[in-house]
Amino acid sequence: MLTEKMDYLDILEAEAIYIFREVAGQFKRPVLLFSGGKDSTILIHLALKAFYPAPIPFPVLHIDTGHNFPEALVFRDELVGKINAELIVRKVEDTIREKGLTDPGGKFPSRNALQSYTLMDAIREFGFDACIGGGRRDEEKARAKERIFSFRDTTGAWQPHNQRPELWDVYNGRIHEGENVRAFPISNWTELDVWKYIQREKIALPSIYFAHERTCIMFNGRLVAISPYVIPDDKDEVVTTTVRYRTVGDMTCTAAIASHAQTLDDIIAELEATPISERGATRIDDQISDAAMEDRKLKGYF
Amino acid sequence: MDLLRFTTAGSVDDGKSTLIGRLLYDTGNIKTDILETLTMEGGLNLAHVTDGLRAERQQKITIDVAYKYFSTPHRKFIITDAPGHFEYTRNLVTGASNVDVMIILIDAKNGITAQTRRHSMVASFLQVGKLVVAINKMDLHDYAQQVYERIKDEYLQMADKLGLHNITFIPMSALHGDNVTTLSAKTPWYIGPALLELLESYKIPTQQYAHLRLSIQYAIEDGQQGYAGKILSGTLHAGDKVLIMPSGRETVISSISHNYDTVGEAHAPANVCVYTDGTSLSRGDILSHPQDKPLEGQAFETALCWMDAVTALDTGKTYLLRINTAEAGCMVTSVLHKINIDTLENYSDEAPLEANQFATVQLRTHKPIAWDHFITLAENARGILIDPDTNNTVAAFMIR
Repeated sequence: MLTEKMDYLDILEAEAIYIFREVAGQFKRPVLLFSGGKDSTILIHLALKAFYPAPIPFPVLHIDTGHNFPEALVFRDELVGKINAELIVRKVEDTIREKGLTDPGGKFPSRNALQSYTLMDAIREFGFDACIGGGRRDEEKARAKERIFSFRDTTGAWQPHNQRPELWDVYNGRIHEGENVRAFPISNWTELDVWKYIQREKIALPSIYFAHERTCIMFNGRLVAISPYVIPDDKDEVVTTTVRYRTVGDMTCTAAIASHAQTLDDIIAELEATPISERGATRIDDQISDAAMEDRKLKGYF
Repeated sequence: MDLLRFTTAGSVDDGKSTLIGRLLYDTGNIKTDILETLTMEGGLNLAHVTDGLRAERQQKITIDVAYKYFSTPHRKFIITDAPGHFEYTRNLVTGASNVDVMIILIDAKNGITAQTRRHSMVASFLQVGKLVVAINKMDLHDYAQQVYERIKDEYLQMADKLGLHNITFIPMSALHGDNVTTLSAKTPWYIGPALLELLESYKIPTQQYAHLRLSIQYAIEDGQQGYAGKILSGTLHAGDKVLIMPSGRETVISSISHNYDTVGEAHAPANVCVYTDGTSLSRGDILSHPQDKPLEGQAFETALCWMDAVTALDTGKTYLLRINTAEAGCMVTSVLHKINIDTLENYSDEAPLEANQFATVQLRTHKPIAWDHFITLAENARGILIDPDTNNTVAAFMIR
């Protein structure tokens, strides 16, 4: 490899830009999945670099669960407006209504699994043949197994036992009609790499990544914000404290962490010292079983 | 800080997962919530750190490649945890294709096995830059030097046949951490290095090849027509006269953009966008300077690994060949010889080439391709074959 004199962030950036250009070169109708979180925000930044001076040559798709952090939505609209991209929003709520699905109930009603239906409907509606996502292999053990070009059949399902060989940087994006590929340009980035890159490139993020005061339910040692979707009952321990978010998913299944980190330097120092993994600290949905992510991917999740 | 990618290969129960767990644990790279999931009845089981899929946990084997990340104050590392099983050799080939260092684990009790030969064959096929042979489970052999020396000698004989060089042997107990992150007092006869020391200090070879190769990926249209591509080797200057290979047409590079800047020159491995004097370029073109152009043609001899588990190689069929971004219809016109995994000798027979077999073959493409020999420029000497019916990647090849 030609990596000796390059800093690791340069290597990771170059790899991602190459992947973006391969997606553009190999597919007719790619789309970039964007949620307003840090990983997909980095994707936008990398795509801008990959295709400069032209604008990003594909639209941006948000699968809106209806359980978003309002700050992430504001950020999403601002960023998309600034880069002049075409934003497509498809709502899980509409899928639930059209398909007669059951909206999950309970204390923390996660629509995370239902997103796959909405995503597949959007893929069919627009004829997307490649969906570019911000998945990283260091997040979770099923993600750790996935190829950079991850082939999905007509139902969107991942076949973990039958993945295409993927050698060097030769990516095989050939598919039949109706199939699609999920492409992951930042597969090899860790959480810390993401933050160091954000710092180096001065990338703006939603405010909830930084310390702020919030009223939360203390649930199994995790801080879950009170919102229109998460309502405390009499037995709940309710605390108002200084928190920030390490990941930004749905309000119903993303926990905050107690933190006073107000700057990127603070956050990087905090992450370098933390004894807890990214998803372990922040995700309620992966605590269900050992294979929660694997199961979602088998059903078309990205 | 730089980045080193390495892979681990070993048979079932050679201690591969334990070694990865040990490296992560001893360098403080396992978070406590993950550590809790590794603590079963009977204490901490480091091997579970690499289990990814449900079936892998149930069958207690690695089926496909998993990637793990860790860092020390000296370097960042990407571990490619690859399967050892015979039928998943193709996944090992995927995993090992991007690494700087390959670690082959040998159980001191079993010595060199068919799997060791197979893993070494993969290293030889891919021409991995640095090989580490970890002779593991030395704790079960009282850390005896003669056990280590015997396996080392036997391995060196095999390595010679495979053309493998630049090998470091390490006596090890991954379970107890001997010679993993630090040198062990139990092997005073071994002068080092410990595995981590080697991984931290190994000097990744830099690209020596000065000849320009720019692979065109994608046309960027923004008023002016630009072409996105990656410089595989060498240096491109604005104003350079270049050849567009394989067609051999000439053009002049009027300007080069890199990230958000217009630059006077760019070096490998930069992702650039170039502008010409008006000549149009296409995905698959290779740009070079006129005085040192790549080879060009439709027939070449390559080392090949067949990877499709469902169908064998069909010498009457047209596949799609990919080198970098170039694509062409291609037939395997003849299988010159196969390699016997037990004797490592060449042989020929009439049987079709099947999954996980290695051979030397003759390829013929339907149109000219620009290529280099592996020893001069690996990046332009390797590629894949795709089955146009299934779209699956069915083979990997290296032009020697």
